[in-house]
Amino acid sequence: MTQLSSLLAANKTASGLRFRPATLIAILLILIMSVVPLFSNAYDLTNYRDVLLFGLFALSLDIFWGRTGILSFGHATFFGLGAYGMAVSSIHFGIDPSYVSIVGLLVGIGLAAVVAALVGYFILYGGVRGDHFTIVTLALTIVANHIAIGWSKVTGGDSGLIGIPPFSIFGFSFYDPMASYYLALIVLAICLFSAIWILNGRLGLILSAIRDDEVKAKTLGYDTKLILLITFVVSAMLASLAGALYVTNTGFVAPDMIALLLSTEVIIWVAVGGSGTLVGAVIGTAIVWWLQQKISSISVTAWPIAIGSFFIMLVLFFPRGPGAFVLEKVKAFQKSREGNK
Amino acid sequence: MSAYIPYFLNSLTLISILLLVSMGMAIIFGLMNVVNLAHGEFITIGAFTLVVVERVGGNFWLALIVAPVVGYIFGLILERVLIRRVYGNALHALLMTWGLSLILQQVIQLIFTANPQSIKGPFPGAISIFGENYPAYRLFLICFALAVFVVTVLVFKKTKFGLDLRASIQSPEMASVMGVNPAKINAHAFASGAALAALAGVLLAPLTAVTAYMGLNYLARSFFVVLIGGAGSISGVAAGSVLIGGLETFLSYQIPVTVAQAAVLILAIVILRFRPKGILPA
Repeated sequence: MTQLSSLLAANKTASGLRFRPATLIAILLILIMSVVPLFSNAYDLTNYRDVLLFGLFALSLDIFWGRTGILSFGHATFFGLGAYGMAVSSIHFGIDPSYVSIVGLLVGIGLAAVVAALVGYFILYGGVRGDHFTIVTLALTIVANHIAIGWSKVTGGDSGLIGIPPFSIFGFSFYDPMASYYLALIVLAICLFSAIWILNGRLGLILSAIRDDEVKAKTLGYDTKLILLITFVVSAMLASLAGALYVTNTGFVAPDMIALLLSTEVIIWVAVGGSGTLVGAVIGTAIVWWLQQKISSISVTAWPIAIGSFFIMLVLFFPRGPGAFVLEKVKAFQKSREGNK
Repeated sequence: MSAYIPYFLNSLTLISILLLVSMGMAIIFGLMNVVNLAHGEFITIGAFTLVVVERVGGNFWLALIVAPVVGYIFGLILERVLIRRVYGNALHALLMTWGLSLILQQVIQLIFTANPQSIKGPFPGAISIFGENYPAYRLFLICFALAVFVVTVLVFKKTKFGLDLRASIQSPEMASVMGVNPAKINAHAFASGAALAALAGVLLAPLTAVTAYMGLNYLARSFFVVLIGGAGSISGVAAGSVLIGGLETFLSYQIPVTVAQAAVLILAIVILRFRPKGILPA
């Protein structure tokens, strides 16, 4: 036990050192983003606002994948549930426009939380981890996409739904690009700093312990399944928050917001920024978004090919680059050393 | 009674399709433990082999022979160039094969356009069974799938290749001491999996819309068949196919097809909760 507490203490100072720069970068990033509107036109601002919300989406994946080492291919499901929850409740239910956004937000986040809790309960408590978890979540996205296309009475099918009102609260509507930009920025800042604060604390250490050796963490008295489940549900709720806010900006929802391609794009965003770094997820999103604008302007089909090539290069040429791969290599090295003993 | 015959045959058709698409998955994922997200594209490649063969004047039967060869060669090259670098690292295998899948989809779409391809299947007519007419091609598919399954099981249980493969999966070091080259066996096993998927693609083509994305529909389901059946056991594939195919047909008579597919997936997740190693573990 004393060994463990010294280990945890050592870990704590190390992680404190490791994350201080990340926190500084996060503060710097938010500061820069808060003065951006002074130098950009309304059209660019709507694009940057979408990037901020996609950054929030990437952050949600990083909280789960980056910290637990379990990759989810299903995060577009939660983004999409948020988006469709907001769209369907603001279009079909005929709710009073003054609080329709709040209801939509709650419906979207609630749906995502329930789905994540159910799926998470069955597979995480069933002991499904690693690649099997990824496959189950992949299937989840495919099914969600089928439902979004097939259940056209509610979801509008292939063409989706249009006419979602801008986000409004207490009678104040964020229809102005500047207002909606700052809304996205404030939500992102709150989520980012809370995530950094919480994951730098005890919970972050426990998650790292689970990632490194779940059985050991369990032996030390932590309910690892419950902790993983809660992390998964919170991560899903953040993804759906991003989705719900996103559709109040675009005004429409379409099945490609709940599709496998989006699930994989968000993985790239996190991987480029370095998984597990939290603020890296947001930066990665911005970099990839910029690249996507450049590549898509050449040819629309070039983009999926570029993502595909990036995945392969990530594995072949710079597995040591982004954070998660470093950890993986270290683990593999330790394992091989243990094997040699 | 006769009302149940088409229903029964429909579920047999779906079970056969799942059996065909999952057999390659059972080898690559179940036995070799490689998460191959490009498996769907192997199926697509098989179906497009049929398209090409018919365009150059061949017929369905020729494609049935050519497609597994194409799949085998493709699988062999892929294993040599990419897949062998990611053995034992599930995350890398996953990311790499997903990248591969995205590239293959786009390349196929660039060559053949996004429109569904027209193909001519064999046996246009129907056959009467117990007084019920049923498409002849589907009956052929059911018999053929069964034959492929039996042959695959025999290859794995009775031939030297099957023995070598099982040995080199169980203990690569011991197998290589006994004169088996695990690298070579792995390459051929991966290629056989790809060949089976390509064969499934040809057989599926007359029943579905042949597009660059057709394989994606079968990717998740074939993973589930293998997971539910029990990874590592070839006979588990039959159990998984019967369960998932049977249920999906049964449910799609009661509720809309998309909801039925979702319900089956949810059920599969529930089964994984209680039997994480599948219903017939190896």
